[in-house]
Amino acid sequence: MTEIAVNKSLIRCSDVNVYYADQQALFNINLDIKEKEVTSLIGPSGCGKSTFLRCINRMNDVIDICRVEGSVIIDNQDIYDSEVDVVELRSRIGMVFQKPNPFPKSVYDNVAYGPRLHGRILHQSDLDLKVEKSLERAGLWNEVKDRLKEPGTSLSGGQQQRLCIARAIAIDPSVILMDEPCSALDPIATAKIEELIDELKSKYTITIVTHSMQQAARVSQRTAFFHLGKLIEVGDTEKIFRSPDHEQTEAYVTGRYG
Amino acid sequence: MTEEHIVTSFDDELRELNDGLINLGSLAQLALANVERAFKTNDHNLAQETIDADKQINKLALELEEKTFNILAKRQPMASDLRNVFSSVKVSLFLERIGDMCKGVCKRIVKGDLLNAKSPKTIEALVALTKDVQRNLDLVLEDHAQGKADNALNVWRSDIKIDSSYASILTAILDDIKNKPEAIEALVPLFFIARYLERIGDQATNIAEVNHFIVTGEVLTDERKIESEEETIF
Repeated sequence: MTEIAVNKSLIRCSDVNVYYADQQALFNINLDIKEKEVTSLIGPSGCGKSTFLRCINRMNDVIDICRVEGSVIIDNQDIYDSEVDVVELRSRIGMVFQKPNPFPKSVYDNVAYGPRLHGRILHQSDLDLKVEKSLERAGLWNEVKDRLKEPGTSLSGGQQQRLCIARAIAIDPSVILMDEPCSALDPIATAKIEELIDELKSKYTITIVTHSMQQAARVSQRTAFFHLGKLIEVGDTEKIFRSPDHEQTEAYVTGRYG
Repeated sequence: MTEEHIVTSFDDELRELNDGLINLGSLAQLALANVERAFKTNDHNLAQETIDADKQINKLALELEEKTFNILAKRQPMASDLRNVFSSVKVSLFLERIGDMCKGVCKRIVKGDLLNAKSPKTIEALVALTKDVQRNLDLVLEDHAQGKADNALNVWRSDIKIDSSYASILTAILDDIKNKPEAIEALVPLFFIARYLERIGDQATNIAEVNHFIVTGEVLTDERKIESEEETIF
């Protein structure tokens, strides 16, 4: 078995409970997410993996009936503390969604949007450089360098998703959350995103929700299996897919769950 | 894990693969039983039948390889399924080799001149060795068919006895050759027969390791490996 270097935990989630009105969606989740690694969250639909992902950047705040208990500590700070600035928090934690969702703006403006919003870059030349670097890191620069003024929505699905990743990394987050980022993409676009995830993990801590077991096996170093709102098992990805400890994990990864 | 897959055709494919392995195992067991009988009674006809039957073993092993390849390509199995499917390639290969080795013994019976070896004790020791090897093969195949590894460690360790019987037989054959140089042509094939039988024992041990891996996900390790490094070499 390949030795995996043990990185320190960047995100520590303790006793996280989430409720949608009276309905409890997550039960006492305790999960550490290690720095500069890819962690996959897997489990059947409705198991709570996306709800958990959205706890990490307080996206659940936008749902009125949603209530989160417990603590999510990032860089020694509980992000649910009342003094936390949610906008600033989300600038540290980028998110990529299932369906590519570029803004109805040019390719350039999509990437420049975050840095402009946060007022971090004052000079045009710096912004140009930031856009170029972000597109490069997202593996998209060569394909769009002559199309920067075209609408982001004119790109192919896979390119749009990489544009969204470029937009997320343009504000230098430490964490990138991905909620089924390849489910709307064809296998070639998926392969490019997976390749990109592999490259990005040297700079960012990545947590990905995926329905593809093979994708989790390919891209992540750690995998967490959720079932009915509970974290059943978390461990090295190799272990989860070779010989998981828990019967429910085994049933799910072998396709016997149902 | 006995529950069925959501995709029932996957269950059918796994069942076919396992049934195929059980058949292949039975053919290997039959070949080894024939070896024992043909050797004990110097039955050239039975030995020739066993040589001819090896084609069937090779054919079935190839079919199973093909089935496994298709399952890997189509299903991308995980966890216990992955361990099972991956291991089936190894088991069919080990069984196919057992077939080859039985064929090797039978060729020596057909072409050799066992009666002129005039070494009843060595022949007896070789028959006893065959029985030990047969017992180990039976145990590991029974385990494999049931998805268990109950006998894995015992078989693994009992292979030491097989190795040591093999070493004693080699020494006995050497002594025979020294004492009866006129019988050398009848005696030399016994070296090969002993070697084949010892190797069949190793294949049974290999299947024991596979069974252990299928059940636990861990590779079997033991001090015995180190001891076996010092095997008898002539």
